[in-house]
Amino acid sequence: MDRARLMLLVVALAGAAALPWIGGPFWTGLATQMMIFGLLALSVDLLLGHAGLFSLTHASFFAVSAYTVAILQVRYGWPTLAAAPAGILLGTALAALFGISVRTRGVYFILITIALGYVVWGIAHRWSSFTGGDNGVTNVPFPAVGPLAVTSHTQYYYVVLAAVILCGLGYRVLIRSPFGLGLRGVKASETRMQSLGYRTGLHIYVAFVLSGALASFAGVLYVYYNKFVNPVAASFPVSVEAALMAIVGGTGTIVGPFLGAGVVLGLRNWVSSFVEMHHAIMGAVFIATVLWAPQGLVGIAARVRARLKGRDG
Amino acid sequence: MQPHRPLIRSSVAMLAAFGIAAVAHAQSGPIKIGVLAPVTGPLATPGKDMVEGWKMFWDQAGHSAGGRKVEYVIADTTCNPDQALTQARRLVHQEKVHFMVGPLCGHEGPAVAQVSKETGVPLVMDAAGADVITKWDRTPSVVRTAVSASQIGHPWGEYMYKELGLRNVTFIGQDYTWGHEVTLGAVRTFTALGGKVAKMIWNPIGTKDYGPTIAAIPADTDGVSAVVVGPDRVRLFEAWFNFGMDKKKKIYGGYWMHQDVLPQMDDRAIGMIGNSLNYAAGLQTPENIAFTTEFAKRTKRLPSWFGESAYSAGLWTKTAIDSIKGKVEDRDAFLKAMRTVTIKGPRGPLRMDDYGNPIQNVYISKIQKIKHPVLGEVLTNVPFKTYENVSQFWTFDPKEFLARGPYKR
Repeated sequence: MDRARLMLLVVALAGAAALPWIGGPFWTGLATQMMIFGLLALSVDLLLGHAGLFSLTHASFFAVSAYTVAILQVRYGWPTLAAAPAGILLGTALAALFGISVRTRGVYFILITIALGYVVWGIAHRWSSFTGGDNGVTNVPFPAVGPLAVTSHTQYYYVVLAAVILCGLGYRVLIRSPFGLGLRGVKASETRMQSLGYRTGLHIYVAFVLSGALASFAGVLYVYYNKFVNPVAASFPVSVEAALMAIVGGTGTIVGPFLGAGVVLGLRNWVSSFVEMHHAIMGAVFIATVLWAPQGLVGIAARVRARLKGRDG
Repeated sequence: MQPHRPLIRSSVAMLAAFGIAAVAHAQSGPIKIGVLAPVTGPLATPGKDMVEGWKMFWDQAGHSAGGRKVEYVIADTTCNPDQALTQARRLVHQEKVHFMVGPLCGHEGPAVAQVSKETGVPLVMDAAGADVITKWDRTPSVVRTAVSASQIGHPWGEYMYKELGLRNVTFIGQDYTWGHEVTLGAVRTFTALGGKVAKMIWNPIGTKDYGPTIAAIPADTDGVSAVVVGPDRVRLFEAWFNFGMDKKKKIYGGYWMHQDVLPQMDDRAIGMIGNSLNYAAGLQTPENIAFTTEFAKRTKRLPSWFGESAYSAGLWTKTAIDSIKGKVEDRDAFLKAMRTVTIKGPRGPLRMDDYGNPIQNVYISKIQKIKHPVLGEVLTNVPFKTYENVSQFWTFDPKEFLARGPYKR
């Protein structure tokens, strides 16, 4: 890591740590939401950016885990220490089941994941005696582990910040491991990898489950932030938006999905307070990204840096 | 020694004057209200009616209440609970509003109530009609000024049995919480009287084709009840006539032909029962005539119940603020005032029950073409049967009702 990058990281971390004092409760809350959805986008990007698979069912794992935590805590009085792992476990188990979709590629994979996503949404929406239907499950408390209890949104912000940093570091190790490089190989040429002796099907299946586990973890963070969950969490637009965040920010990177989440949620929440046409603005941003910056915001930054370096040399 | 009475009296008066001055100083700023409405998204049309009704009220009231200036911030919820939650937190933390009004979409209700619960900032719930808010999931800081879903369903069931003389009804209901609660409320009172359900047909919002629904109506049914929302209202209307059902069966709107959808229907609707609702734009009371005339002047259309509801929410909050002399900083006093004042809105007399839900009239209305002074010939809902002072519990005992649990399909 060069010095400029290290500086940038330190500044970013210091800024993130100081945000609750500078920004106040609204921006702290929005930043919490951005980090949580950034994590979801990151989980989508493990398949999209590294294995080249466009999944549109990640809201399912996100929602199943959120619903599990909410129902266990609110209705059965489970403590966080039991409910949160149960949420991740159930979300991951669902990913292990939905993982069969990796037997397909390309547009078939996209279609089958859309269908699976709708099944989960339908269950959340229609099985109202269990899921609460449209009203969802409300009154989820803040997380508490033994005597350590989160009591405010500011405290929760730091919990999410720490969780996101840990996830980012773990993710970095994963994508640089032989396993992660193998995924890149599959993206570049699956037949080549097979001829080299890789069991590419299994490789991608494991990536799918890992990515589902990360989405489930984001779901846990989400339900404690929102304090309620309803079928919207499992809906198709959530899956699409997660993929959009990764694309706008820059696929195949770690920072990209978080930047993308910042742009998408920032536009939706902040711009909408003074412009009614924020959907159109969002659309324009997306089109501009695809046309002129297919590598996303991170790609733009890299290009700028390359040009600056060129001038120096 | 006897104390000097006048001296004591004058010093007490002086102290009181100081106290009042101090309080008045703290409250000299404007009252800030946060309004949560779906200005964009699938329910943008009702959302605009809501915003218009709200604005119109405060324009007429001179933007003041309780001797203080009133300001409001409108936040777009896009009919998405995540967005509604974030916007509610923005209104509370960023805009520092004294209380919130809204939202409109049913599933946004619990999300916004959550913010009221965690911050203590009062929420005056408008059109969002989830039954749980004023029944099983009550929050002390939340009161409702519009209607809870099954409140309009209960009289509808009785009306079908007693006045229409129906005994074997097919219920078409929209398949989501509001649709369930309205429909099943009607089913409950209808069957309690001895009526039979010929068939229940649930359709998700946005059902493209109502052909299968119509084909599924049993031959021996003597009437059809419709509870439909959004674009489905026009689709059901068209399908009904295209299949020639108007010559075979009678269909009645429990919650169907609202004012905002009538321009997309035509004269075939005349004479049909359009709604069993807490508002009908064709209501002939001085309050409603004044309201609809002004609304029509401003927007070139008649208000739907969403417009009236926001207007009445304005009147209700202003009356409450006036009664506590503008001291909205005292949240408990404001909520207490909201629960105790009575008002006469365009839709009739309104007061709150012990559970924070209005007691109000429910009107069964027919679609008629009327000559409007501003708009000329126009289709509207004209009430012809009024159930007065309907409670959200209908005639049931509240405790028993609560013990029974929510309506679920």
